[in-house]
Amino acid sequence: MASALKDWIKPDETAKEMLTRVFTVRPFLPLPPPLHKLPLRAGNVVEIVGPSSSTKTHILMQAAISCILPKEWKGVRYGGMERLAAFVDLDCRFDILRFSQLLKHQIARANSNDKKPQAEYDQELFAACMRRFLYICCYDSFEFLATLKTMNYQLQKEKEIQGVSVHLLMLDSIGAFYWMDRALPALSLGGINRRSFSLQSVTENVVQEIQKLLLVHPMLVLASKRASLGEKHSKTEAMRSLDDRNPRRWPTAEASGLNNASRGIQALLYREYMPLVWQSFVTHRVHVRPSDENSKHQSQQIYLTEWLLPSIKSSDTFTVNDAGIFLIS
Amino acid sequence: MAPLKSLEVNYSLIDSDFQQFCASQGIFSVEDFLMHDLYVLVALAEQYPTSDRLKEGITQILSIIESQHQPWQNGLELLEDSQNCKQFLPVGCQRIDAFLHGGLQQGFLTELVGPSSSGKTQVCLLAASSIAKTNLGKVMFIDTGNSFSAKRIVEFFNQNADHAYSAVNDNKILQQVLDNIICRSVFDIFKLLDVLHELLNNLNYQTGHNLKMLVVDSISSLITPVLGGNGAHGHALMATAGFLLKKLAHDHNLAVLITNHMVAGEGGLTKPALGESWKSIPHVRLMVSREPASNISTMSVLMHPAMAVGSRVECGIL
Repeated sequence: MASALKDWIKPDETAKEMLTRVFTVRPFLPLPPPLHKLPLRAGNVVEIVGPSSSTKTHILMQAAISCILPKEWKGVRYGGMERLAAFVDLDCRFDILRFSQLLKHQIARANSNDKKPQAEYDQELFAACMRRFLYICCYDSFEFLATLKTMNYQLQKEKEIQGVSVHLLMLDSIGAFYWMDRALPALSLGGINRRSFSLQSVTENVVQEIQKLLLVHPMLVLASKRASLGEKHSKTEAMRSLDDRNPRRWPTAEASGLNNASRGIQALLYREYMPLVWQSFVTHRVHVRPSDENSKHQSQQIYLTEWLLPSIKSSDTFTVNDAGIFLIS
Repeated sequence: MAPLKSLEVNYSLIDSDFQQFCASQGIFSVEDFLMHDLYVLVALAEQYPTSDRLKEGITQILSIIESQHQPWQNGLELLEDSQNCKQFLPVGCQRIDAFLHGGLQQGFLTELVGPSSSGKTQVCLLAASSIAKTNLGKVMFIDTGNSFSAKRIVEFFNQNADHAYSAVNDNKILQQVLDNIICRSVFDIFKLLDVLHELLNNLNYQTGHNLKMLVVDSISSLITPVLGGNGAHGHALMATAGFLLKKLAHDHNLAVLITNHMVAGEGGLTKPALGESWKSIPHVRLMVSREPASNISTMSVLMHPAMAVGSRVECGIL
């Protein structure tokens, strides 16, 4: 009795032990700009929201590259994680040629830093990195659910073959099937206990499956999401709705920035359309958009990122060229 | 996806006992399975006397589910597929082809946006005749506004004709080119979905098909009538058509070329008829425009995975 009680009182582990355990199971993942500001770790769900062609896919690609590159290879520092990265393409627009171009640039840059331009190594390294990148595309929500349900086996298999675990799960983009799901037949045939298909139930299942997946494979989830309104005419519409004070059209929580007009527009620029179950699943949210001001750097388009969750005041600016994403300081 | 009853024939594990167990959980089709937590189902099956057989049935269903999604590929396989099967097909105008790094890419959806009489249909016809001729592949032209002109194809053919051949030989090639272009008239979105589904089925069962390109001129005139109103159905039809086109392009290596007309927007500016929610569909979006009373068209990039927005080329083909 006394020994049982003693066992019960005995601490499972010290804080230090716990910290070391958590850091090994769910380590911090150093991601390239513009996601470098916050320490992100496996288990976090980051939503990258922005209008169409605001480099969301590029940001995902850059994160994938830093995940599949090794830390060091034949004496050259690449600063990667050397882990698997899984990319679920829901927009079905992934361009592998662009991805391989970015990877080659990244390898070449690391080589030139170390002044070791050895093309032979590159081929081998390039192939090894590309093998760590896992890709699938889905044409509707059912394919997406089928993918998630069987992903555990797939990731387990790849883990055994390649000997490294998955660190990154990317979804591009999460609202892709929004309209198709909203139009799913609402009434269900064949019994009261048959579950109906709807945007709500599909999203619930997606979130549930990802949660289960995260228990087995601790990964960082990066999901891109298209903002419901584009930059150009959204501004006028946002202005108009500010004038109208039309609370039905715009969620009140977002319109609360009304006291500051510009901030109000900023908030109105994106209207939440995913069900609450997805919104509460997201732990971090970052907003990307093309900036209005013209660049001094060869008239390139400048993009802005701003962390909305947790909210950070300062924003980052960057440009994109052939070699990837570059911060403007 | 299939109802469980129809699977009974091929899979002995999905017997009437298993179907009864599923029916008690409200599961009648493989899709219903996707909406359930399989671990919970396994736990429920434990309570039945025939639990082992039921669990085998669930595993069977899981393997069916696995065959329902696209295969996983790693980066190398993807790159190899892209290099072998996704080539650039020439449009037939040197300046445009040089500008687009070789033309229209197989597996990609390329969209031409522009006001009326800016040369969108001309680019479609030119590309169709060029691909039918040089690659000797078939082209499907879905015509929604009676804009297809066989006469124009012949003109393009004669413009680029190789004069080294004799007239007889030329005629033979022309015959072949015209044979290679299949034109379908489609006047509403439902017919379009029918035609695309039919095409997808045909391509799935034909291995040696030679279809290289699919043109829809113009897709916006089919979709804009169903948009608007409060319901989601118009947008759902639009998204369905878009994903079907992408599936055709990707799985069967077709270069898909679609056109989108312009409508009056805010402040007197014109904007594409299919706007924000369509933007996520095409891979490449090109703007075609022409000054009044000039025969030089300008093509500029609105969206491209590898090209900067705003780069442009002028071309006087039309």
